Amino acid sequence: MKSFERRPSVAERRSPFVGSASTNNTPTPMVVPHLAGIEDPVPETTPEKVDVLIAGTGIVESVLAAALAWQGSNVLHIDQNDHYGDTSATLTVDQIKRWVNEVNSGKLAPYSNAKLYVSTNVGRNYKSRDFGVDLSPKLLFANSDLLSILVKSRVHQYLEFQSLSSFHTFENDSFEKLTNSKQEIFTDNNLPLMTKRNLMRFIKFVLNWEAQPEIWEAYSERSIYDFLTEKFKLDKAQTFELIFSIGLCYNIETVTPKALQRIRRYLTSFDVYGPFPVMYSKYGGSGEVSQGFCRSAAVGGATYKLNDKLIDYNPETKIATFKDGSKVTVMEKVIMSPTQAPEGCANIPKQQFEIHRLICIVEKTCNQWFADGESAAVVVFPPGSLKSNNTQVVQAVIQGSNSETCPRGTSIWYLTSAEQGPRGEIDLDAALEALENSLLRETSQDIVNDSDIVQVGPEGQTIINSVKLGQSFKEYVPREKLNFLMKFYFTQHTSTPPFNIVASSLFDMQDDNRLIPGASDNGIIYTPMPSAEISYDEVVTAAKVLYEKIVGSDDDFFDVDFEDEDDNAMTNNPDYENAIASNSDEDIAMGDSGEPVGEMEI
Amino acid sequence: MNSNVTSVKLVLLGEAAVGKSSIVLRFVSNDFSENKEPTIGAAFLTQRVNIGNHTIKFEIWDTAGQERFASLAPMYYRNAQAALVVYDVTKPQSFIKARHWVKELQEQANKGIIIALVGNKADIIEDGEERKVAREEAEKLAEEEGLLFFETSAKTGNNVNETFLAIGEKIPLKNSSSANDQHHDTNNNNNQRIDLDNNPVDAASNAPGCSC
Ligand SMILES: Nc1nc2c(ncn2[C@@H]2O[C@H](COP(=O)(O)OP(=O)(O)O)[C@@H](O)[C@H]2O)c(=O)[nH]1
Ligand SMILES: [Mg+2]
Repeated sequence: MKSFERRPSVAERRSPFVGSASTNNTPTPMVVPHLAGIEDPVPETTPEKVDVLIAGTGIVESVLAAALAWQGSNVLHIDQNDHYGDTSATLTVDQIKRWVNEVNSGKLAPYSNAKLYVSTNVGRNYKSRDFGVDLSPKLLFANSDLLSILVKSRVHQYLEFQSLSSFHTFENDSFEKLTNSKQEIFTDNNLPLMTKRNLMRFIKFVLNWEAQPEIWEAYSERSIYDFLTEKFKLDKAQTFELIFSIGLCYNIETVTPKALQRIRRYLTSFDVYGPFPVMYSKYGGSGEVSQGFCRSAAVGGATYKLNDKLIDYNPETKIATFKDGSKVTVMEKVIMSPTQAPEGCANIPKQQFEIHRLICIVEKTCNQWFADGESAAVVVFPPGSLKSNNTQVVQAVIQGSNSETCPRGTSIWYLTSAEQGPRGEIDLDAALEALENSLLRETSQDIVNDSDIVQVGPEGQTIINSVKLGQSFKEYVPREKLNFLMKFYFTQHTSTPPFNIVASSLFDMQDDNRLIPGASDNGIIYTPMPSAEISYDEVVTAAKVLYEKIVGSDDDFFDVDFEDEDDNAMTNNPDYENAIASNSDEDIAMGDSGEPVGEMEI
Repeated sequence: MNSNVTSVKLVLLGEAAVGKSSIVLRFVSNDFSENKEPTIGAAFLTQRVNIGNHTIKFEIWDTAGQERFASLAPMYYRNAQAALVVYDVTKPQSFIKARHWVKELQEQANKGIIIALVGNKADIIEDGEERKVAREEAEKLAEEEGLLFFETSAKTGNNVNETFLAIGEKIPLKNSSSANDQHHDTNNNNNQRIDLDNNPVDAASNAPGCSC
């Protein structure tokens, strides 16, 4: 393996003592001066020589571009589209129309089978630009590696995050609202004492599960379902909530350690910034976050060019040739999203897994599914809960207009299945029907006078008890119909297995310098397509692996500190970063330190 | 925080090399450098201006060079309450671009955005060199489109502060820092934004993701 000398970072190169030979070899963390956002007078042409060429402005590529720019690499970042985001883009309705045509003409290989219905109302009552639809909807856990990098790089200042605390499990044709705090689980009056006790035992365990192998070792190859029901004697209802709503797992066979980690992810994210486990960014999810990292990269010195496509790269001469005829010498690596591959490419890793997505815009608010003050919810359809007899979950993210991704009076529904083959689409249709029926039932005028079902909230607003509704109105067939402004379906292909994060072997495979005669993409390293994962968990891992391939080590990945520039800077508390970035499992203060678990009276 | 402080997002637009970054530098640190070495940046620059007993805190977003290949992201314009559209008084082409940016802002940005048209490098004309964009022409554009108009020099500092002050005076005080009035369908508990600069509530942590 080739290793590179670590280049000085931009901050180091800009040391105020330019003349004097620097004796300071380990200036960590680097400090970026206060005066900022002002770049060199720049030429109108792209540079002739760069360290790294990145094609595609999806989230992994964008995080990588920013990391490299701040490390000191000279980055040229291009995208064949006229917008940012690539596989993570947030698109308007018109942009979706174009995208669907591209997919169906075979120009975007990692996607297939795109279908689109758009109501004539879009263009009449609504503008295409009123909508921001994510190709790859994602949620941000409050305790996650991407979040700490967002804060560290200050990219969070470009973004606005909103909380999401409503997680619903669809069961018996109705939604059970997830008892989503540790406290709520124990104060839920409907739970028998024994169940509460078992749940508490489990939650205490899971927060520190790795240190107690004696409890789970026998199950390390077995399903979490078996583990929870056998070892903790939990009922099906709680087991399903833990596996599918809290753990956001995909099926009942998920192996125990993987599921435990996912359950803990939720629990340790809860109450970090407030009483919610996840957030999403306003105006669009990963498309917005990508733009933020691109801007950060640009401020760090990267050159940006949209509407440009690589047509050939020669690994011997290191010359990259673009659509417009221009050329650039790439000193180190060319990194490329599979969507941006040149014609005549032959090295794209196999994308053998399918993700099915159905994205609908409905002309109705879904406020009854949101927690107070929020504008989004997650609905999970566990295996076996749908008419299609699904074996994999369907996960739905619902967003209302306060997320600023759709206009007042409308909502966007993102449904995702990692089922393989044509069943994926069938499951999504079944889930859509279930959502539609629930919404219509809950808002139908026919039942608004039944005081058993309708309750009035503290401010006079009507609260409908969907659990009860589900039970008593199962057979109710609504007269109303839901107006769809858009229905958008597609299959995305990826090399990442469902619910896994990217494997670094994906990149090793590409590292053996194989040359396929005549291929236009020899020597190019491809980034992974997004996985089906609902969180951003794979992003930093993938960007780091690529970073290490280029820089030689990931030690200084985003190792940059900004000087205090303002009163609202957070650097006054040095422990803060560590608190959320900590990767260590030795951190076992969790059982006591303010864990609500320990305080519960049973 | 002081309740008299109004935060205002201000963006710069204009052809490359007209002096956008130099104007910011002049305004923020009263400095100008002829041959700049790469200066680097945080998210954006901030500068406070006092108007009467109010303070306006400008959050200034420079283009970071993304304007060169028409690669500015929607995020850049989003919720901008003010913009400087800059051209170079010695470069007619840059004035044509300025018209384009004004139009772009009117289409893409918030309604009610305050725009100042700025003809920069006025010091060069005073040195006897030729002016290529007539003052009248720019004044006419400003009048037609309802823009503030200044000719500035980032080099001497002439009119730079005046431009920002004039914008500050047109900013509606209060309410302007939050977009609540446009807010909708809720469940509404006023502003839902989460401040990630606030200390997390709970320090107990185990990062998810890679469990290596
Ligand atoms: N004479 C003169 N030169 C200026 C003025 N403002 C900027 N410049 C120079 O014009 C060049 C481009 O300036 P810069 O601020 O980088 O432009 P930007 O690309 O619009 O950000 C630099 O060499 C500056 O020194 C000015 O008011 N007068
Ligand atoms: Mg500039």
